Amino acid sequence: MKTTAMFALALALVAGGTGASAQSPGPGAPAPLRIRYMVNDVSAAVGFYTDKLGFKLVLQSGPYFAVLTRGDAQLLLSPVKGPGGASQPMPNGERPVPGGWNRMVLYVADLQGEVDRLRKQGVHFRNDIVNGLGGKEILLDDPSGNSVELFQPG
Amino acid sequence: MSESQVNVRYMVSDVQESVDWYVGHLGFSPVGPASPAFAAVQRGPLRLLLSGTASSAGRPMPDGRKPEPGGWNRFQFIVEDIGPEVERLRARGVKFRNEIVTGPGGSQILAEDPSGNVVEIFQPAFVQTSA
Repeated sequence: MKTTAMFALALALVAGGTGASAQSPGPGAPAPLRIRYMVNDVSAAVGFYTDKLGFKLVLQSGPYFAVLTRGDAQLLLSPVKGPGGASQPMPNGERPVPGGWNRMVLYVADLQGEVDRLRKQGVHFRNDIVNGLGGKEILLDDPSGNSVELFQPG
Repeated sequence: MSESQVNVRYMVSDVQESVDWYVGHLGFSPVGPASPAFAAVQRGPLRLLLSGTASSAGRPMPDGRKPEPGGWNRFQFIVEDIGPEVERLRARGVKFRNEIVTGPGGSQILAEDPSGNVVEIFQPAFVQTSA
């Protein structure tokens, strides 16, 4: 079982990986861009991103790793503890954890409508809609406390 | 909404210094002029938004929390041969949080930009052998 899972994982990474190399773009579809978020619970995060934000599940390796896709972005979910490289502590013992302020930005056509929809579904927002120079934005939290920005240009 | 572009926002301490770092070390191109508050850089499908404290993204939250650089969430910078890439960047003074780690899917290492944001440099474990 484990070997099969690893093989499936390897195939998924090859499919995403070689295409994304700038040195050898390769033929066919444009390369996905990969973003990695650290999460406390991979399954809970998969549920959140697929149910609330329109991601599709590409692959899940139990509690240890998942790949989601939305548009040209792939979202890699790595737990704080597990066999994957991203789950390993730093040489000084520090462990990668969820949170922080760096985030993916999801463009929406109707920010207020999206916020209303998500609030009804119980999604937690860090702030209210902010008007900036390029558009309107808001920050929501995933179940691990990672931020996702919703942005409406204009 | 264009789906052929992926937008990622990093909070940074110094916008111009950040632009110089991503352009100089990782092959990004500037998108438009940089201001002290904000700049954007592009590489392939990735548009990286670099927001300083004076940008709208730098405003404090209603509870007083202030956005800041750092954390562990990141985009991946995929390479075919991670060893020489890390050597190249080390020779240019780029700081890394760890050494190369090999997991089931490949090898990775975490580089830090001047603000302490992390960029994952990743080499897939299995290389495609035919075009």
